[in-house]
Amino acid sequence: MTIAPEEALSLVDSAEAPHSRLHRFVYGSAAASRRDPVPVATALFIAVAGTALVVGLNGQYFGTVVGFALAYSIVAIGMVVQLGYAKQLAFSQTVFMGVGAYGTGILETKYNFDTAETVVCVLLIGFVSSLVIGSIVTRAPGLALALATLLLPLFVSTYLGNSNYFGSFTGILNINPLWGTISNYNNAMTQTSVIAVLFLAIVTFAALRVMRSGVGLQLMAMSEDERLAAGLGTSLRQRRLEVFVFGSVVATLGGIVLASAQGDATYFLVAESAQITLLIILFVPGRKNVLAVIGGAILVEYLSTSSDFMSTNLATFEAIVLVVILLIEPNGFVALVARIYRFGYSKLRPPKSGAPAPYEEVTE
Amino acid sequence: MSKFMNLIAAGLASGATYGVFGACLTIWFRVCNVLNLAVGDFAMLGGLGTAVLIQVHGVPLGWAIVLDLFGVGLLAYIFDRLVLHFAFDRGRSEHGIVSVFFYTFGLSLAIEGGALLLFGSDLRAAPTLWSGQALHILDFNIERPAVLVIALAIVSGTALWLYLRFTVSGRAASACGESLIGARIAGIDSAKFRRWIFIMTAVLAALFGVLESPIIGFTVQTGPTISLLGVVAAGFAGFRRPGKAVVVGLLIGLAEALIQGYVSISNGDVILYGALFSVIIFRPSVLGLSALA
Repeated sequence: MTIAPEEALSLVDSAEAPHSRLHRFVYGSAAASRRDPVPVATALFIAVAGTALVVGLNGQYFGTVVGFALAYSIVAIGMVVQLGYAKQLAFSQTVFMGVGAYGTGILETKYNFDTAETVVCVLLIGFVSSLVIGSIVTRAPGLALALATLLLPLFVSTYLGNSNYFGSFTGILNINPLWGTISNYNNAMTQTSVIAVLFLAIVTFAALRVMRSGVGLQLMAMSEDERLAAGLGTSLRQRRLEVFVFGSVVATLGGIVLASAQGDATYFLVAESAQITLLIILFVPGRKNVLAVIGGAILVEYLSTSSDFMSTNLATFEAIVLVVILLIEPNGFVALVARIYRFGYSKLRPPKSGAPAPYEEVTE
Repeated sequence: MSKFMNLIAAGLASGATYGVFGACLTIWFRVCNVLNLAVGDFAMLGGLGTAVLIQVHGVPLGWAIVLDLFGVGLLAYIFDRLVLHFAFDRGRSEHGIVSVFFYTFGLSLAIEGGALLLFGSDLRAAPTLWSGQALHILDFNIERPAVLVIALAIVSGTALWLYLRFTVSGRAASACGESLIGARIAGIDSAKFRRWIFIMTAVLAALFGVLESPIIGFTVQTGPTISLLGVVAAGFAGFRRPGKAVVVGLLIGLAEALIQGYVSISNGDVILYGALFSVIIFRPSVLGLSALA
């Protein structure tokens, strides 16, 4: 998508317009929403296709692939905004997955909250904790943020593994599904997966709205050159905090889905290995493309249980694919496919003589 | 007093681990502004590779170490030629987040997977190079392999500091990290420095693995775990100063041992990581990272 500099500036300016931010976030400006049906269309596609898929599976793969794939998809979409788009070097997503999973487990098993109350309360806890942690960690410059957030999963998983309150090594068991009772396992898992698909659609809508708005342009400017973004009037600290909170709350939601689908919360989901899986899911398919990371999450989780050989050697294959993809096209597999398509298209359909030159050539 | 001194000895031994990895990370980052996240995996290859050559294939100790170090160096060379060369010398890479972390992150995962196939998932240890009873010095006891590990950390940190500070080659290597184009205009072959320092740090880490594995025993998953605090030690040295990274690594090891000895064994690591996290967040200036932000 090519955007003229004047249009980019006007969109950046419009991000600071005085009317309600929430209203603009949900509906967009009237003109923008007419021009950009992508967020709603993508969310609807995910909701319909995802629901059809989980209903069609009829209980197959529910204990393993589906729960992890949906949870990791949700978390990875938050990472698309945070790491892929805004290039915020934060590696704390598994910690907030832990907030979601352990929060769900504790509220349901120790305080007898019902599912709806639990989801609302845990999301609030995730929001407040990410606001508090984010207001501290986003002050750290560049690699310091990466270092600090690399340490977070390390000490949180160590603490969870040692704490009796959090169930030490076994974690918290007997967590309820999002919908239904565990006595009718297939029904409960199907219904839980449908709810998770709806969460996924909502998160996708929110991520696309952010990325395709004036705020998204500000984030893009920040990721390329922070001084330039500050010069354009972007509040760097506010935007950094917003991105951190967005990614963290989405990760909390992923943790809720995972705990509800698996029926337990263990410290493994906070450990570095889970963070590595998330990074693979983000970077191999395409770190800026929400549909690609959903596909990546499904594929990785399917392969991890498809055969003994594959599950044993999956990390090796992932590593080789990661390096090759990054070497050829740092924006991931989807960008590579798009590049090949453009190359083939330009070879098959040379531009007509006398046709006006593309905009970018004129400006350059 | 005896307990305190023994904790100091244990802390220095574990701190040497973080120090050596920190030094390896800083010197390579200084040359090409890339974090070598596979450094712990090279150490794992050193320890496990030597152990397997001796225990499974019956190779004598000296030859096993030589073969293992040669293999690790060769692996580093091949990775540089196949990946880093295309990523950095041919302009195929997007610099920034991808180049800083993810090429060596991929290497780390690949080494771990390959090692699982070659060595299995058992705990193994290379034979110690200095066997015998623990040394009794003043009021504390220290295992002989631990003395070798601490000595390697101090010697390698000092040698790397001297190399960067007092040799023309070291200054040329630093220039590559400061300004790649400037270095090339001055006739410095940045690719050569990147390649040889990558190989040298890989071999150093593998040698460290040979010395360390008799103390703690290695599995294929040991690498990333023990190298993470090396990354932190390197961070406190601004990713630029290998000598300081060794000192910081030793201090982190001492803090870890004293906290576990006097405060809580089970939560010692939690307190240590929390303290390091707090320092990074509230005093980021100690990292010296402002120029890299």
